[in-house]
Amino acid sequence: MLIGTSVPFAAGRRAGHTFAVLASLLVWLVMLAPLLPLVTRLHARTIAATGRTGPGWSPVWVSLGSAGIALTVLVLGGTGLAWMLATGRLPAPRVWEAGLLLMQLMPPLVIGLLLVFLVGPYTAVGRLLADVHLSATNTFLALVVAEVYEAAPYYVLGAQAAFAALDPRLAVTAGLLGDRPVRTFRRVSLPLAAPGLAAALAAAWARAVGAFGAVIIIAYHPYGLPLAVWTTLEEVGLEQALPYAAALLLVAVPVPLAAYLWSARARRRR
Amino acid sequence: MLDVDVEVPRSSFVVRAAFCVGVAGRLALYGPSGSGKTTVLETIAGLVRPSRGHVVLGGRTLTSAPPCRVVALPDRRIGLLAQAPGLFAHLDVAANLAYGARSPAQRDRLPGLTEALGLTGLLGARPRELSGGQAQRVALGRVLVTDVDLVLLDEPFAGLDPAARAELAGLVDRVLAERRVAAILVSHELGEAQGFSGRLGVIHGGRLLAVGGSAELVRDPRTSEVAGLLGYRGVLPPTVTGDGTWRGVHPDRVVSGAWSERGIVLTGCVVRVQPHGPRVRVTLELPGAGAGRGGRELPEGAPVRVEAHLDAPVEVGQPVTVTALDPPLLDPPVLDPPVAPRQAGT
Repeated sequence: MLIGTSVPFAAGRRAGHTFAVLASLLVWLVMLAPLLPLVTRLHARTIAATGRTGPGWSPVWVSLGSAGIALTVLVLGGTGLAWMLATGRLPAPRVWEAGLLLMQLMPPLVIGLLLVFLVGPYTAVGRLLADVHLSATNTFLALVVAEVYEAAPYYVLGAQAAFAALDPRLAVTAGLLGDRPVRTFRRVSLPLAAPGLAAALAAAWARAVGAFGAVIIIAYHPYGLPLAVWTTLEEVGLEQALPYAAALLLVAVPVPLAAYLWSARARRRR
Repeated sequence: MLDVDVEVPRSSFVVRAAFCVGVAGRLALYGPSGSGKTTVLETIAGLVRPSRGHVVLGGRTLTSAPPCRVVALPDRRIGLLAQAPGLFAHLDVAANLAYGARSPAQRDRLPGLTEALGLTGLLGARPRELSGGQAQRVALGRVLVTDVDLVLLDEPFAGLDPAARAELAGLVDRVLAERRVAAILVSHELGEAQGFSGRLGVIHGGRLLAVGGSAELVRDPRTSEVAGLLGYRGVLPPTVTGDGTWRGVHPDRVVSGAWSERGIVLTGCVVRVQPHGPRVRVTLELPGAGAGRGGRELPEGAPVRVEAHLDAPVEVGQPVTVTALDPPLLDPPVLDPPVAPRQAGT
């Protein structure tokens, strides 16, 4: 009797599961659908032509260089801030977090516009930079500045979450075993938070490499990959912009992917 | 020598504790959960700041208040072993053990400790691969590699199965004795506390109620509060003792039958029977003895009940005669303040 009633129930459950898998597959394919033109419309001759015309492949190196510097700046400046926030060492921590969230939620175009008023040629910062023969408008430095501002909240908030997930008793244990706070940070907090930091760094990298809104306002030159896509699309055509789009994908994805895989592996091993 | 005299405000009460532990001496702080034991330990470790008092270890003042001055953790020379071993997950056992080793002398301790703690075959293992007992052994070794003057043990055996608990307790005892380092254990298990040290402190509600030899304290707890914490399950009022004294009854110090030369003979009615290992825990109600003088321990008019661990099977409702062997004298219970009668019409 029991078996007689459970068979149709089990069959119904299998059918339901199959339907759920198919529905998930459909949603997943719809999400990946924009990648299709990279396979169907990107031709070798277009890629070869890209190397000979316009800015050539220099936007790849510009994007790699600027994003690399931006992330270095973020790691050096943002890691300490994230740790201070996560360990409750700052007064009124909600105010600090609100500031970071504000920057994260702010539209990139607005960031770019406001940066003009902060580091533009007629501002105090702009004049200071001019004194040392630098400019933060339409230069490589401007590109780095724009990328730093677009990516910073993603790194700092991600790093804060990574540090906050650590058991605070471990730092106490390290202290009682003779470590000063800086040494504890280096030997315990940093390695244990590394998977989370890597994930935060990956998000910041993707954001920095793909920065466009702020960049188009204060760093129109030199072209990074997003601007190369845009200007080629505007001035040449849709298909000619595809090689830059593919290059942007190739530059943006591997670092986060590697970070994600390493982070997942490191978490599994602990 | 450790000299502790501190007051630490907590949310529900102020923890007050004053005691000394000699060089290479031991103390077990015993009390129920939430009694303030861990707060005392954390104050000694330097994790909690007292509002008043001092912690002096080996002549060095580690904490004093007010104004509150606390020597930094790395300079306190105190090791802490908590219920959670707190191993560093990114390091293997060998690296965890060597974490605090700075000097050649400290590094020289590693092989001996590794062997004494039975960790030789586990040096390459990651913390997640260890059992609870193995992880605690690594944590203990990691503490003892350093030059500590005092080891604080905050219920380190909790969460382990009885066999692992007994094995680790024996190991801790042996290794601490070999290193001749002072140690304080906090535990809510009386047997564990007594097994660790011959000196026992009983703490409850933030107050260190008594400090003394563990056997003496259990035999002669003095107050009904301490008696209750040490397992006494019955207070005999003067109406029962007949000599104007109050006495405590411990269930393990009650035997069946009337042995008036060995203690006080009690006859009562069985109101409850529960299995207790190979024996039974019997609750007896003593008829006509409910003339308590009032107070928290024996409210006015409340029936006097005692518990006994007996071998013979008994049933509820059955009259039973037992002898409480040399029940210790207790201070008279604290009287509840009289309640003022309510005025009519107010």
